Formats: sequence, structure tokens, C-alpha cells
Amino acid sequence: MEAERKTVKITMDEKELVVPDGITILEAAQRNNIHIPTLCHHPALSNWGGCRMCVVEVDGSPKLAASCVLPVREGMEVVTTNERIVASRRTVLEFLFAERNHNCMFCPQSGDCELQKLAYELGMDHLTVSFSFNSFPTDVTSEHMIIDHNRCILCGRCVRACAEIAGTYVLSFHNRGPRNLVGLDLHASREESTCYGCGVCLQVCPTGAITNRYRTHYAVKGHVKDWKAKESLCPECGLLCPTTSHVHDHMVIKVEGKLSADKERPDRGQLCYKGRFETLKSEGKRLVQPMVREKDGTWKEETWDHALALVAERLKSIRRAKGGEALFGLASGSLSNEELLLFRDLMAKGCSAGYVGSFDGHHFKAVSKAWELKGEPLKEASWKMIPEADFILLLGANPYKTQPILSTLVRRSILERGIPVALAGDMECMPPFAAFQFPVKDEKLPLLIKAFRAEVTAAGKKISQKSKRPSQSREGAVAGLAKGAKKSFMEMVAAFVHSTHPLILVGEAVTGLKSPSAFQDAVKLALSKGLDSGNVLRLMVLKPYGNSAGAWKLGLSSNGGSKAKDLWKGGLLCLGHPKDLDSGVAADLGNLDFLGVISPYFPETLAHCAHVVIPKPLGMESHGSYTSLDGWETGYTEKVLDPPEGVKDSWETLNILADQIGFRHKFKTWEDLSKKAVKAIKSWRPA
Amino acid sequence: MGAPKVATVWFEACSGCHMSFLDLDEDLVSILSKVELTFSPITDFKDYAFPELDVGIIEGGIGNEEHWEVAHKLRKHCKILVAWGDCAVFGGVNTLRNWIPKAEVLRRGYVETESTVNGVIPIHEELPPLLDKVLPVNQVVQVDVHVPGCPPSPEVLAYSLVSILQGRTPILPNEMLHFD
Repeated sequence: MEAERKTVKITMDEKELVVPDGITILEAAQRNNIHIPTLCHHPALSNWGGCRMCVVEVDGSPKLAASCVLPVREGMEVVTTNERIVASRRTVLEFLFAERNHNCMFCPQSGDCELQKLAYELGMDHLTVSFSFNSFPTDVTSEHMIIDHNRCILCGRCVRACAEIAGTYVLSFHNRGPRNLVGLDLHASREESTCYGCGVCLQVCPTGAITNRYRTHYAVKGHVKDWKAKESLCPECGLLCPTTSHVHDHMVIKVEGKLSADKERPDRGQLCYKGRFETLKSEGKRLVQPMVREKDGTWKEETWDHALALVAERLKSIRRAKGGEALFGLASGSLSNEELLLFRDLMAKGCSAGYVGSFDGHHFKAVSKAWELKGEPLKEASWKMIPEADFILLLGANPYKTQPILSTLVRRSILERGIPVALAGDMECMPPFAAFQFPVKDEKLPLLIKAFRAEVTAAGKKISQKSKRPSQSREGAVAGLAKGAKKSFMEMVAAFVHSTHPLILVGEAVTGLKSPSAFQDAVKLALSKGLDSGNVLRLMVLKPYGNSAGAWKLGLSSNGGSKAKDLWKGGLLCLGHPKDLDSGVAADLGNLDFLGVISPYFPETLAHCAHVVIPKPLGMESHGSYTSLDGWETGYTEKVLDPPEGVKDSWETLNILADQIGFRHKFKTWEDLSKKAVKAIKSWRPA
Repeated sequence: MGAPKVATVWFEACSGCHMSFLDLDEDLVSILSKVELTFSPITDFKDYAFPELDVGIIEGGIGNEEHWEVAHKLRKHCKILVAWGDCAVFGGVNTLRNWIPKAEVLRRGYVETESTVNGVIPIHEELPPLLDKVLPVNQVVQVDVHVPGCPPSPEVLAYSLVSILQGRTPILPNEMLHFD
């Protein structure tokens, strides 16, 4: 497209440049490798023109112009650096330093600070003005971030990022004049505010005004020049957001999103509280040596050889005595596809275990049944369709908990495009500007979905006349709703009927129900609006784990039942994430002859019932492929950190176990395994 | 003409800049052989009767009345006044107290410290009273050369001093500038 755009000729620092019309002087300079210092400008955000750091001389005018907001014009003559310009920039910089507390030696951001860098660049070796020594508040209420207004230069990057990227509009400028500061909501603290804690403000902050609470001490984070940047993907929720992890001394110092102004990814490179902060949380002491529980209940370290031999021996002996049905394998949906496939084959083929599943497999039961409804294979909607949707329905879904970035996209859809959004069930995920809200209890959701479907069908029959009230025969289905809610319900039905690209997001509250009929109703509701091109259903499932889609498509879904559970005598758990056991999945594993656990951390909740615990690397400590939430894409994560010394990787551990059990799988290398896992997932079809 | 006369003083600071200068090791010998060091924290003269100096060097912020007075004296007697380190240039870590009233600072330091029993705030005619706020040297007297850094590295200190001795006013290149 750009080639077709009109171009203009300008002169910059005595160089003739031909640049597209309409771009700013700063952009023209950057395209031609001419450096202009900036501070309030951020490439992913709208232009602000507030800090005056990027001033240049245009056509010899006595007044300097901010190059980040001034568009180029035919014949323009620009000077980016001369004595007057540098003096102006340095003076502005001195004012910024003098205004608040910018003493680098007691700032956690020193060394990683754009204000400081600019001072060096502009040779500011002292201040010619006196410091104000005004005192501003500090907000330490958030678990993840600190706001120190004393270090703020009011560049407004955080305010713009909060609105434009996160779609949250929590941050804004408060007060006036010298008391001006960036505040949350109406003078709320971070904790009390409606902030979602995504940390985009932290990433764009050029100073130490918003700082990370993790790895802030210089003794921990070391010198920025010693950091290594590792490009990877975040495997936390299935959106596979690209990340840059800054690593120093076997530790991730910070994780950043790849913020960008272009809309290639609708989230524009944002990260959420999970991807940015949770990976930095220390979840207790890492397990580096296998542990075995003694007869008296105490845990003792054991060698790898012994521990692995013990696991294999116990599994084999149970199989000998009670048969394969007495064995089970449970893997977490946060593992990589490779780990899942290797574990699946070891348990299903190697041990002939009666049950091999994932922690969230029961959610798949409903989902898989519904996929068969149409007779032909359906494709689940992609989360990237949210920005095109003209009606969004969240059914028992809390994207803030499962896929936080999706709550951003839905929010932005409401605020920027004004589309109607309907919530049923969980209300936590959305501020109150969703058009329709039905805070019904989870168990009422099936009824609500049923009623919705019925009304949509009825409305379809008499599409010409708008129905204002629920028809008599279906009154019962909507009976659970209050009087005002009934009107709202009918409006929601009408909005859905009139939409052309509706999207239904279904969450755990629906897929987790015992009966699959509610989910099927939701799918039928989506089908009533026809399929999107490519047999794409207008519905997506917000899955509980980062790689649930991969686990489900590798067959690690629930196909047993409570009956199978009664047969269980022994089994193996494979955990990927310290939070894997939070769902209570292992609650009924108390009375087994043998329970082995492969986990990065010691599983405290299983300390009373597990027999052997084998260490494993965390997700970021090995390469791996993950399947996106919608199942459309495969993402490959990089090895960001080395695993703790002595910890064998999953390939080695599971291979040794297979050997001991006497099973030979068909994978030659990890790469081969990776290829086959991805192929299996891609060729997956509803049964 | 004899060797250029130099004096260094240590105000409100940790002496890290002087330590950093001593870190020059053998280069220190070659620099000191070119100057006459008249005053330094080691000489510990209490009268501050400076002779006419070529270079006066201050480490530390102006934190009490003595600093204030000595800074003026030194300025009067030297041709070129150098501010060494972040404390002298910006006030440095001492300025943490500038956001707190003086009385509270003294009480916290002498009375409320966790390890203190029956603490009293020392008041004596020979003790210089604390100023309300710590100030960078250039807020009190004119400074000719600023060498920020906490501390400035030995190389930066040597670079600036040698430049002065060679008759140039040093402008620190960007890579030598450091505020931490």
C-alpha cells in the first residue's frame, strides 16, 4: 500500500529524503536512521507531544517544534541537532530531574531507565536549577507493582497504554499544576481500583515511577548490560502471547510483551498479570532430587536411578496383580504437547493403564459431544475473531481468570466499537458496562441457555414482528429472572438475532457441568447463526489450562468415569505448573497402593498420599510446543532458563521410565516427538 | 612555578569518591607526583586555612553549617572547584532526608534507632548544626567541573583531574556519565 501513497521531499540535517506524506518528522527520521531523542513517545501508543525532548528546528523557525506530532510537508527543512536544540532538550530534562525525586542511586530502576539514559546522552552532568523537594505519595498496595509518584515525569505513556492497549481506562491525570499526578479511578489505590493488574503501564513507564515488585533489588537483578533477552511465548493460557524474557544469573528478571501499534495481533502484544508476573513468583523451593516417602511418613531424598526404578517397579507390580485397569495416568494441561504425548504413550501403551487423562479432561466431555452435532467436522472459533464480532455472549465464562487478554479484547470491543456484550453467570470479569447482565448461579445457566435458544428460535419464526415479551409457552424457562431482567433478556435475544457476527464464549461453569446438554444448547445457539467461513462455529471454549487444547486433542481427555476411579490402585501424575493442584483434581487420590508424582515443586497437598516424587523442569526451562486456545495454531516456546542443576528433563525421565517398564516408543528425538505431537493435534477430528 | 596546589574536602557523603580515587593504584603515584596536595580528609586540619589553590575538590553535599562555611572558603581560595560524585553534584543519597523535617530526622537518628537506649540529640557549640536540607554544592557556591557518579570510577576521576591539570575544562563523554 505504501508504494501507492503520495511521497514528499524534505531535507533533514542537509540530507534530501523522500518520505511518505502524512508521517511525522520523527517517523521520517527513524526510517532514515537519524536519531532524535524521545521520552513521552512510544511506538505502540498514540502521539502525545508532551515532553519536548524530540524538538527540532523546522524551516529556521525561532520556535522549536515537537517532531513526534508534526507531519512532514513538501519542501520542509528540518535540523535535528544543533547547539540551540540540545540546550533546549537539556533544559527540559533538567526541569524534569529537578521537579521530583530522580536520584538514581536510590531508585530500583537505575540502569534500566530512559530518563537516565537521556541525561547521559545529552551530557547532563549537573542541574543548573534547584530541586523542588516536593513530596508525592507512593502506592504499594498491589502485589505486583509499585507506583512512586515521586519518580513520575507525567509523560502519560501509562495513561495512554491503559486506555489504548489494555482498554481499561483506569489511569488518568489527577490534580493540576505542580500537584498533577497519574491516578487510578477517582483517587483510588491500586488495590481498591478497577485495575486488572496487566502491567502494561509498568512496561511503558520510562522511569522508576511504576516498578515491578519482583527482582527489584540491584543485588538480584545485576547490571542491565549483563542481561540476556530471550524471545519466547507465554504458555500460561493458550493465547501464546510473544514475550521477551530478560534473564540474568539463572533468573528471569522481567517478562515483557511485544507491544506494537499494528494490529497483526488484536491484543497488540499486551501481556496479562499471569504472563508478566506469575512466572516471576517463587512458588517455594524447587525440587532437585527425587524424594521417597518412608514407612513412617517422612520424606527422604533418593537417587534418580533408585527412584525411577521404584516407580517402574510399583506400576508393574500393580499391573501384574490387578491388571492395567487398576492404573491411571493424569497429566496437567499446562504441559507441552511433547510431554503430554510422551506421558500418554508411556501410561497407555507402556503400562496399559485403564485411564489416561488430563486434569481438565472432564470439560472436554461436553465439548467433544457437541462437536459431533453437525455431522461434519466443525472448527472452534478463534479468539482473534473478537475484534470483528458484533455481539459477544459470555456464558459462565470468566476470561479474566482463564485468558485475561480476552477480557481486554471484549472490553475494548465495548468501548471502542460499542458492540453489545451479554454476560451470564460470572460477573467478575467485566466492569458494569456490558449491555446485558444475568448474574445467575452456575446451576441456573443451563436453564438460561435453553431459554435463550428457545427465544431465538421463536424470534426467527416471526422475524418480521419484534417480540417484546417472552411468549407464554416459554415463560417458565425465563421464570428465574427478575422482572426487569426479563425485558433485558428479550433485548439480548433481539441483539443476538440481529447480529451478523456473534461470538459465544463458553467457560468452565458450563463445560464443567455434569450434563453436557447445556453446552450442546450453546453450540446449537451458535449454529442458529450459521457457520463462519471455513466451517467455523461462532463459539469458543475458554479452557482451564494453558495447553488444554493440545491435551484434549492428544486424547488426554476424560473418557473414564467414577466407575473407573473405583478400580484405581496406582498411578502417575505429571504436573507442569505449581498451581496445577489448586483445582482439587487430586482430592480423591488418598487411598492408593502407589502414587508417583513428576513435578517441578514438591506437591505439598499430596505429601500424605504420594509415594515417590520426581523433579522436572518448568515450562520455561525446556523447548516445547503448545496448542493455542482455539486449536488453530502451534506455538514453540524457547528454553528461557536452564533447569536447576541435577534435574533431568522430561524426555530423559520418561524415557528411563519407559525402559524400566519395558516399553519402546516410536520417537527418536525430542524434535521427532515434537513433529509427531503437532501432527497428531492438527489431524484431530471429532470422533 | 611549583606544582599545582590541590585540596580535597569531604562533606556529607560516604567517602566513596575518595576511595574510588585511591583505587587508581599505581596511577595515583604519577598523578600525585604532578601536584602538591595541601589538604585532604587524611590531613584532618580543623582550621581549613587553605593556601591559594589551583584545584579545590569537594566530595559530598552541603549538609551542615560547617560544610557551608568551608565550601565558601574553598571557593574563595581555589581557581577551579570540582564537585566529586553524586552527593556533591546532586545531593545524592543524603537528600533522602530532604523530604522529612529536620527535627524528625534527628530524632529518628539519635533517639528512635532500634539499637539506641536513652538516646539524646547531640547539641554542642563545637558541633555544626544540620541544615534544613542537604544541597548540591552548586546551589551554594559556583562549581566549575561536575563529575557525577556514585562513586565516579577511578578512571573518570583521573580523566577529569588530569584534564584540569593540563589546562582544559573536562566535559565528560557520555559513556563516563553515571548517576549510580
